[in-house]
Amino acid sequence: MSDAERARANFERFARGEPIAVEVGEIERELSSLWQQASRVSAARLGRAELSREGSGTLPGVPSETTAGSAVSRAVLWNLVVPTRGRAGLEKTKALCDAIAPAVPVRAIALCLDDAAGGQELSATIDSNVVSQPSGGRVVYCEEISLMGPPGAETHFGAMVRALQVPGVRTATLWMDPTMPSALLARELLPVTRRLIIDTASCARPMDLRDLEALAARALPRPIADLGWLRLSSFRLLFAGVFDPPVGGAPLRRASRLAVRYRAGGDASALLLVAWLGLLLDWKPLRAAGTPDGGLRFDFERPGGPPVQAFLVPSAAACDRSAILGIELADGRDEYVVTRTAVDEAEVRVPIAPPKTVKLDAASDAELCVAALGPRGRDPLYARCLAYAAQLWSLR
Amino acid sequence: MENAAPGALANPLRQGLVEERFPEPATMVIFGASGDLARRKLLPALYSLTRDRLLPSRFAVLGFGRHAQDDDAFREEMRRGCEEFARRRPVDAAVWSAFARNLFYQQGAYDDPAAFARLKARLDEIDRTLGLPGNRVFYLSTPPSTFAPIIRSLGQAQLAPRPAPGRPFARVIIEKPFGVDLETARALNRQVHEILDERQIYRIDHYLGKETVQNLLVFRFANGIFEPIWNNHFIDHVQITGSETVGVEGRGGYFEQAGILRDMVQNHLLQVLSLAAMEPPIAFEADGVRDEKLKVLKALRQIPAADFDRQVIRGQYAAGSIAGRAVPGYRAEAGVDPRSTTETFVALKIFIDSWRWAGVPFYLRSGKRLPKRVTEIAIVFKEAPHLLFGKRADSIRPNVLSIRIQPDEGIALNFGSKLPGPAMEVAPVSMEFRYGSSFGVEPPEAYERLLLDCLLGDGTLFTRADEVEASWTWVSRIHRRWAEQTASGDMRLPEYAAGTWGPDEAERMMAADGRSWRLP
Repeated sequence: MSDAERARANFERFARGEPIAVEVGEIERELSSLWQQASRVSAARLGRAELSREGSGTLPGVPSETTAGSAVSRAVLWNLVVPTRGRAGLEKTKALCDAIAPAVPVRAIALCLDDAAGGQELSATIDSNVVSQPSGGRVVYCEEISLMGPPGAETHFGAMVRALQVPGVRTATLWMDPTMPSALLARELLPVTRRLIIDTASCARPMDLRDLEALAARALPRPIADLGWLRLSSFRLLFAGVFDPPVGGAPLRRASRLAVRYRAGGDASALLLVAWLGLLLDWKPLRAAGTPDGGLRFDFERPGGPPVQAFLVPSAAACDRSAILGIELADGRDEYVVTRTAVDEAEVRVPIAPPKTVKLDAASDAELCVAALGPRGRDPLYARCLAYAAQLWSLR
Repeated sequence: MENAAPGALANPLRQGLVEERFPEPATMVIFGASGDLARRKLLPALYSLTRDRLLPSRFAVLGFGRHAQDDDAFREEMRRGCEEFARRRPVDAAVWSAFARNLFYQQGAYDDPAAFARLKARLDEIDRTLGLPGNRVFYLSTPPSTFAPIIRSLGQAQLAPRPAPGRPFARVIIEKPFGVDLETARALNRQVHEILDERQIYRIDHYLGKETVQNLLVFRFANGIFEPIWNNHFIDHVQITGSETVGVEGRGGYFEQAGILRDMVQNHLLQVLSLAAMEPPIAFEADGVRDEKLKVLKALRQIPAADFDRQVIRGQYAAGSIAGRAVPGYRAEAGVDPRSTTETFVALKIFIDSWRWAGVPFYLRSGKRLPKRVTEIAIVFKEAPHLLFGKRADSIRPNVLSIRIQPDEGIALNFGSKLPGPAMEVAPVSMEFRYGSSFGVEPPEAYERLLLDCLLGDGTLFTRADEVEASWTWVSRIHRRWAEQTASGDMRLPEYAAGTWGPDEAERMMAADGRSWRLP
């Protein structure tokens, strides 16, 4: 195959979004060359399409003299660094980045430690992420870079990320794989990261909350977004809405008992939810104890109010990844209850109105990542709730 | 609740929620609910807000109209509207089901006190059933002649009490047109203020809900590099275009009375102009922004009689072609007088008497049956003071910053660049930002933003009484001059073929200044 044929074949694969193997030191040059070819092809295609639609010699909104030189503009709102392990992890990461790109164009940089990789060298692939909007016309062009190496190759990842960051664009690190070496994050990635994204749902054990809290403390003052926390949003919003006028906040101030029902294994989510309420309602945790059903009981005191007992109640019922099945709050007189009735539905019960069924968001991981890269990823309450949740666990 | 809620009602769980702009439970009453706007815009917007979880779970909509139908028929009609027009499609069955349960309809006449007494009873019942606190938004999606009677009826039925701390809110959204001239706008403001406090009134101009219009403020005041050159030292002139390909679309009767100056310029284009030209507000809050817009409207220079025909060009479309289809002239449209003198195109040269804009003309044009539907602001900068490139200077054009409001919302900056190669050839190139390609998501519909803002009590993107009167003050002078010209037999109403950019006189107005209209 000649160089020209190889270049054409590479471009066709690139245009289809397939990965192309490149020299590690040539990533930017290869990307630049492939996008230039894409510009030429796009200009020709766009010209033909618009001419046939408009029946005139100019493109709408574009001076005619620039038509011949229409460039494909790569869109990048974030550099998104995603460390992962193994080929399966890499495939999952790439699928996630593909799903994020339509809403938030990113230059994705996947850092993969592959136990099965031979040799000592890093290898690299690049692929395009071209998204046509359903309304037609509008297209997002962005790119993914994958770096793979054997265990130990993480020592090169920091320098590679620094070299491959699009200048002037913020960098987020998506730290989802707890098996990745923590030194990679602490030494190499945190210094170039403007937003750290974690997922408490990946905490196999609630004691991992302590590690995450330490990680979050190290990352400060950078905003930390937690996909697990974002998964709780719809339940938090729904439960908060119960106490809007005319109910008001009085029952919260009188509350004496709280129960959070959750899918077994989702202890971290349940703890975060209790932490949210405890923090906002000024409950001081006193002690914790196990319950016969395998759950936990916490005792709280609070200034000027009755003591509060909170129960974490595990269940085998089906649930989404938020793991929350219901919240019940009692003030000695009335109960205020939000109960999941289906994966994406909940029933709200308050004393002043008949029960009401409402839709619960069941966002995908990609949708949560998009939220984490936006304003919702800068929730100042989160770090405090995480610390409170870690404290609750340590009482046990 | 208006103002701060008292302690017992304050909800500590709202603290720190990232969705901090979250409205209180409320009922929205839509007058004119069987009309086109409710079906095409309002209900689809409310559905999309529900879908995006931006409305409280306790929220109800009550349609009110003259047409007789029951709740289920109304729900079905609105569902069809959402399926066709909602931004978030297809309609999610579960979301719709929960949303539709709180959709109600009531028949009644707009000036019938008994109908409003029944409306009040129905709203009280909805509040009791759904546990709502009595907050209400009334949307007047009705003909302008009904605005005052409806508001009077609301007052008589005690449905719109003035705001007070701890009391449920009552707000009224009023559709355009707000008056047909200065006198009628003043009269309507007086009638409305007899019942309502200005803080309760939300005069809607859907242009202000468009993402790019709001972005104009961000672009100007959140970036350090543009504001220093946003003045007469660097800007040669400004062009604002609001063009439509459609004709009167079955609204011939309405348009005959309105004309393009009332229909587009008095509200949309003057609002856009005021945002483009205003000084930085002291804060991004309702009165801060509206105070600055008002100053611009008050500073619009009255057009001298001697220059009137050079600065105000009107036209009327004749038969022509749009999108490959032959279309009739305006006078052949249904509902239009065959001898009509209503303008379907207007081009204006405007000056703003302020330090910032002294000597900078603002050219506005708006018309029906123009070649494409587009709304844009083009800031045309002065040429470089000394051109180094000799004969190649022909291809050097002034820098233009164009802000596209619709469609394809975005911003483009044109500048000259050296063409690759050994020769020193200069070519204009464009650096573009488009919402669609940079953010990858469709911006929300203007009505979504505006309905949400009203529920939140944020009037920043709504027009205040004094703004409306200031814009009518300026526009009514033009109408008076046109009336004088008609009376004296000196009326000039050139025709333009549908599918062109207006009458030749509009081009000549620019050419006389050594400029030309952009082709947006």
